[in-house]
Amino acid sequence: MHISKYKSLLLCLFLAGEMTAQQELMLSSMPDLWHSNSINPAIFPAGKRFFIGGPAYSLDAAHSSKVAYGDVFRKDGTRTLIDLGNVINKLDPENEVFFDQRIETVSLGIRSKNDNWGLQIGHAIVTSGWGKYPKSLAEVLWYGNAPYIGQTLEIGPQADIFDWHEWSVGLSRRFGQLDIGARFKYLTGAGSLQTDENRTLMSIYTDPDIYQLTLKTDYVFYSSSIVEAVDTAGYGYKFRTNSFGGQPSFQNTGMAFDVGFRAQLSEHLSIHASALNLGGSIEWKENVSAFTSSNQYFYEGANIPGIDIINGSDNLDFDAKLDTLNDIFQFEKSTPDRAFKSELPLRIFAGGNYQLTERWSLGFSAMYQSLANRTNTALGVSARWQVLRWVSLGGMYSANSRTPGNLGFHLLLNPGPLQVYVLSDNLLNGFSAKNSPAVNFRLGGALVF
Amino acid sequence: MHYKTLLRSLVPVLFVSFVAWPACQKNEFEDPELAERTSEFAFPLFSTTLNLKDLMLKVLSDSLSNDTILVNPDGTMTLYYSGKVAEKPATDIFKDFAGGLFPLTDTVSYGPIDNLPGVSVSRADLSKGTIYFGIFNGSQDTLTGHIRIPQMTKDGNVFVYPFVASPGANNATPIPVAGYILQSNNNVLEFIYEAYKPTGERVKVEIAPGFPGIFVQFENLEFSYLQGYWANQRYELIRDTIEIDINQTNLVGDVYIKNPQVTMRIANSWGFPTRGVVKYLSFIGRNGEEIPLTSSVFVDSAVDFNYPSFALGEVGQTKFTDITLDETNSNIAQIFNSQPTRLIYEVDGISNAQNDQSIVGFLTDSSNISLNMRVELLLEGSARNFGAEQTLDLNFGGLTDLDTSKLESVEFKIVSENGSPISSNLQLYFLDEAGVAVDSLFDNGAQFIIRAAPVNSEGAAIGITRTEHFVTMPAARFERVRQTKQAYLSTAFTTAQDGAVSVRLLASDNVTVKMGIKAKMRFQ
Repeated sequence: MHISKYKSLLLCLFLAGEMTAQQELMLSSMPDLWHSNSINPAIFPAGKRFFIGGPAYSLDAAHSSKVAYGDVFRKDGTRTLIDLGNVINKLDPENEVFFDQRIETVSLGIRSKNDNWGLQIGHAIVTSGWGKYPKSLAEVLWYGNAPYIGQTLEIGPQADIFDWHEWSVGLSRRFGQLDIGARFKYLTGAGSLQTDENRTLMSIYTDPDIYQLTLKTDYVFYSSSIVEAVDTAGYGYKFRTNSFGGQPSFQNTGMAFDVGFRAQLSEHLSIHASALNLGGSIEWKENVSAFTSSNQYFYEGANIPGIDIINGSDNLDFDAKLDTLNDIFQFEKSTPDRAFKSELPLRIFAGGNYQLTERWSLGFSAMYQSLANRTNTALGVSARWQVLRWVSLGGMYSANSRTPGNLGFHLLLNPGPLQVYVLSDNLLNGFSAKNSPAVNFRLGGALVF
Repeated sequence: MHYKTLLRSLVPVLFVSFVAWPACQKNEFEDPELAERTSEFAFPLFSTTLNLKDLMLKVLSDSLSNDTILVNPDGTMTLYYSGKVAEKPATDIFKDFAGGLFPLTDTVSYGPIDNLPGVSVSRADLSKGTIYFGIFNGSQDTLTGHIRIPQMTKDGNVFVYPFVASPGANNATPIPVAGYILQSNNNVLEFIYEAYKPTGERVKVEIAPGFPGIFVQFENLEFSYLQGYWANQRYELIRDTIEIDINQTNLVGDVYIKNPQVTMRIANSWGFPTRGVVKYLSFIGRNGEEIPLTSSVFVDSAVDFNYPSFALGEVGQTKFTDITLDETNSNIAQIFNSQPTRLIYEVDGISNAQNDQSIVGFLTDSSNISLNMRVELLLEGSARNFGAEQTLDLNFGGLTDLDTSKLESVEFKIVSENGSPISSNLQLYFLDEAGVAVDSLFDNGAQFIIRAAPVNSEGAAIGITRTEHFVTMPAARFERVRQTKQAYLSTAFTTAQDGAVSVRLLASDNVTVKMGIKAKMRFQ
């Protein structure tokens, strides 16, 4: 059991800046970077035949309101404290958090001598998380129920979190100035936690009379290899969990396809487009459970017969009554009665680059992502300056579904065959996670020959 | 230029290290703790509904054993309670003629069946006892003979006692008489004996010439039935005291009960006319003062009891006589609303007060005269600061074990929903093990936690009055209170409109008292 790791993931979800999906506009404007192949299988850096992709890490996380890491966490000596008191006022009635993390462990590529064919294989570990929670959940956790007497607090959170491994093989073909590519991805799921979108009711009502509690639940979530049990035997709750980031299982499998092209329209102008995760899904079979809580409970305290009071039986035994309070959230574990599947987010990139001078180029990038009913669209224009032969800097202005103005940047160091880079679509927040409601960056390295 | 090559190699490493460093600081994500905060939790503690019928039964008659509340057809309630029964059994009378010794002065002698003054018995059924015949033969001859009592029969056979008396002999053999019936029209028994010498000569038995030699003794007689004539005689009947403790608590304040009634019920199975004469009937007030009862129901302080009639074949039956004292025929209302503590009465009996010689009376061994005093209270009236005190055992249950180290304060919410026309002013004192008050529920003295419901013109409750009180306790005070095991409850009841009007208590009246709590916790 790795409760702390699981907790970390949830916290990251909470902190994450808004990004309804993994937005990598800047990467799409850097076709000379080997790792740009990950968002377009047709792209191979020009003039190179062998490609060894080293580790690359990208993180894209967001929160729907202006909540940043620094708002929630603060240090007290060696302790890290969670302070929701600073956050609650900033929350919307309904809040969403996103978390997309991609770790590309290794990738290899080779182009044929005649440069007409390109072959690529790779492995990546991906985590996709989405959560939705009402403000009232944070309020009741932080302030208790007393400030909300007379109100029905809906506190049921929703989540769809899963991680998987991608084992990919791709092929590209050049037809004159047109490169087209396709990639097959074999998916092995590691873990998943998914709430049933139709059964997310958790409510608590505190009656103004003498604070009688009405608790209702109709809540279901599914788990594969994450939650083993929910123990409500005591006054609190214990989730016996495993962590995300565990070993993938070949019982949790799926597949996805990436397709793309890149066309050199003129000496200076090129365009590209790709669609990722086509048909991508994972069906969960390993250690799958459904956890259901469906209760309605009215707690009015001890009901003492009046005749007992009159006759002097005046002992109030609260213990037994409070014990039953836990029963309301008693989760029952069962085998799911329906297919438990996770859809991979569909991602579409398109854009173009124009080489102004030997050192300057301009770019246009667009991205669309869709998962379930959640979509994100981003558009950006970029400029790139080749400072030295082995150093380039770039900037980007982009707008997405959440904010109209984001400044991105990149820095690429390319000494010899080495490519080392760091980039972000959101320069101001990209590396200041503590003070930003959105985090977006990517860094990595590769060798190209 | 080697340094440039070195630089080109190192810069990416340094750069990546710089950028990646924050991401490696994972300790900030590991095991974070919730910051200090103040949370307040609200939850209900208990609720209870007190039925007025149960409550009144408890408050008014807790110490009485023969109490009951009856719900009248209109929903009103009447409280009945009775004192102990005072009685005069007939067996007390039988003791007066349990036996006797007398000589047979001649061969035919006479003796009365009883010797009660004014009583002439015509029949007596013996259920126990013995008869002795002492025969002292003073002659020189052996005498033989028998003694016969014609009025004493068993199964239709006259009692006959045969004897043989030797010269100088002294015979005294006990003979059981259970089952014999003595019957005489003139309260006289005949004792006839015949004694003969061996020669056949009939003689009188004498100890010495002129001195009778036969004695008759009845001993330990018990009767199952007496029948005869009871003349006008006065005798002590009943004298008793009834404690009127209508509340086990020390009552204070004013209570007015509308039209209380006291009913004296005489149950009589004596088979002849009896007149009860009240020699003394007074209540004793709270301060020991005597409050005489005056009533028009007693003519010359007397009342004739109903009785079973021999002529009507009512032997064995019990007849009742009820004497009801109320505000129309007595000063009982005034007496009762002064909250008396004791009733003392003494009653004599007069048999055949009319001196009717034609009345045949009877007594059986189960005949009895009993007097039962019953108080009847229609629960209608008014009260102002009608007080009650009680010590209660307390147990805060799970709250006793609650970890209060994080507790800042608690706030109790006390709610009453009262459907009765009674208000309750209450204070609760929390007692330590030595019985010393360590705290009280309300800082500013007793509070009206229950307020009377509105009443209609008849004084009946016609709605519900809701009252809310909040009691805030800092953690230290709550800590002190929750450890107590006893509480002293001081309550004062006042009826609607501050006791100014008479209200009617209905069986359906009830009051719901409930409590919730807010606990403010400081987590650090």
